[in-house]
Amino acid sequence: MMGEIQRLSQFVLRRPILRTAIVLGIMAVLAVLHLEITLSRLGDAASNLVIIAGEAWPPDFSVLTDRAAWAYPPCEMQTDWMCSPAVLGMTQTLEIAFLATIFGMAMSLPLAAAAATNLSPPLLAQIVRQVLAALRVLPSLIWALIFVILVGIGPLAGVLAMTMYTVGYLGKLQYEALEGVSREPLEVARAMGLPRWQIARFFAIPEAANSLISQMLFMFEYNVRHGSVVGLVGAGGIGWYMQYYLEPFKLYDRVLALVIVMYLVVIIIDQISLRVRSQFIEDDEHIQRPKWRGTIVPWAESSDD
Amino acid sequence: MNSEPILSIQSAEIGFEDSRPLLEDCNLEIGPGEIVGLIGRSGIGKTTLIRTIAGLIRPLSGDVLFAGANISHSARGTIGLIPQRLGLIQHQTVGYNVLMGALPNSTGLQSILSLPSAEMRDSTRKAIAAVGLEDKTLTSVNLLSGGQQRRVAIARSMVQNPQLLLADECLGELDADTARDIIGLLKALVEDHSTSILIVDHNPVRARTFCDRVLQLRGRTIIPLSEEEQDEATGLPQYRGDE
Repeated sequence: MMGEIQRLSQFVLRRPILRTAIVLGIMAVLAVLHLEITLSRLGDAASNLVIIAGEAWPPDFSVLTDRAAWAYPPCEMQTDWMCSPAVLGMTQTLEIAFLATIFGMAMSLPLAAAAATNLSPPLLAQIVRQVLAALRVLPSLIWALIFVILVGIGPLAGVLAMTMYTVGYLGKLQYEALEGVSREPLEVARAMGLPRWQIARFFAIPEAANSLISQMLFMFEYNVRHGSVVGLVGAGGIGWYMQYYLEPFKLYDRVLALVIVMYLVVIIIDQISLRVRSQFIEDDEHIQRPKWRGTIVPWAESSDD
Repeated sequence: MNSEPILSIQSAEIGFEDSRPLLEDCNLEIGPGEIVGLIGRSGIGKTTLIRTIAGLIRPLSGDVLFAGANISHSARGTIGLIPQRLGLIQHQTVGYNVLMGALPNSTGLQSILSLPSAEMRDSTRKAIAAVGLEDKTLTSVNLLSGGQQRRVAIARSMVQNPQLLLADECLGELDADTARDIIGLLKALVEDHSTSILIVDHNPVRARTFCDRVLQLRGRTIIPLSEEEQDEATGLPQYRGDE
């Protein structure tokens, strides 16, 4: 018996992959026990899913036709469908994403120029990078919670939350793009004796313009997707209307209809943005453009080739 | 030289920190309106010397003086640079790139509002016409040929109107006719604006045809091209591979 245990331990010790797998497996079991995850709870989730799916299907598309009298801010339009939860929610989400992208871009561009080591003194660049990193630490949902507390429920909190996150995220992309510009135009400007802000404004930013525009469009796409999430904590947009149906009414069929509307709008925006962005990407012969099928059914893309 | 040199390098060591200097005990003077050619084999330090004179790198020791004062105190727009790859903003038009030469002369408000004065716009138009690119004013520079891009860089220098222009191999890879055109434009810059030019050229035979003096980087320093070397039709010893 002792001999078998010894042989088994030697067998394991000689195989690093098996050794690592056993260690990871033990850690996973310990984590599952610590979090009190049980198979019975997974079973409950499955049965809940069946109940919710039964209640959600078929989706109730009256969210596209019925007037939302409880909308915030109130809808003044005469036509009912123009004031429906789906149209109001999606319009608000797009408006929040648009404003957050514009305000975020206006704030992040000067910060990015200050954070770029080829345009700014090293100490200032490091300080601004830390500020941008701090803005990125909190996800947009947490920013939304903070601004709902500060300015109250509604789209303003959404715009402020998404703007803060946009500044941190876009700022990082932008200073990396500015640091990637060719050295020579900047040296021409330095030899002329131009101040740093003119070098950034008239040489570096125009040279990086294609990347900056492409990043801004990408950020708009991102903000549309996340703009729907911040509504769940009261920061406006389609998420707010979903939350209205979820609590306390639990009208899952209407929530599913809103999710389908959001999904379709996000796909359309992604496609438009992709087409526009491809105009600003250099050497786009090497860009593999996603196909419609790949966008709607992501796993179909890889099986294509 | 009768007048005070516009550029004076005195006993300077040129190179980068933490490594042996590329050039030692460098001495060079360039007078107003003078065209000085600089030749030397690849990697010997020509571009580093140009970048040092442009104020982009500090000399390791010695002095680099512009109009008698330290180069770092030179007034805005007095030094122009045409780097090896020209330093053009590739995604912008010919007009935008040439107008950038006028930036040192703009006021703060004009810059902030991006509103060039009528004088700046006029000098830009004239410079573009002088280099023969009137019909390309609104064309993006990345769509131009190499020769046309060099014309844009020279037009930018015309608008800037510097006292000293540093041109790093701006004649490289050009056919003979285009090179002759570009040389004509550089000479016009000297005649019209009394600009001094320090130009790096790989072709010593061509350099001595249009430069007032030709210097060479050799043995880690700047030395004049000897009479014997100037008479060599086939080029310098190092170009024959005997160094």
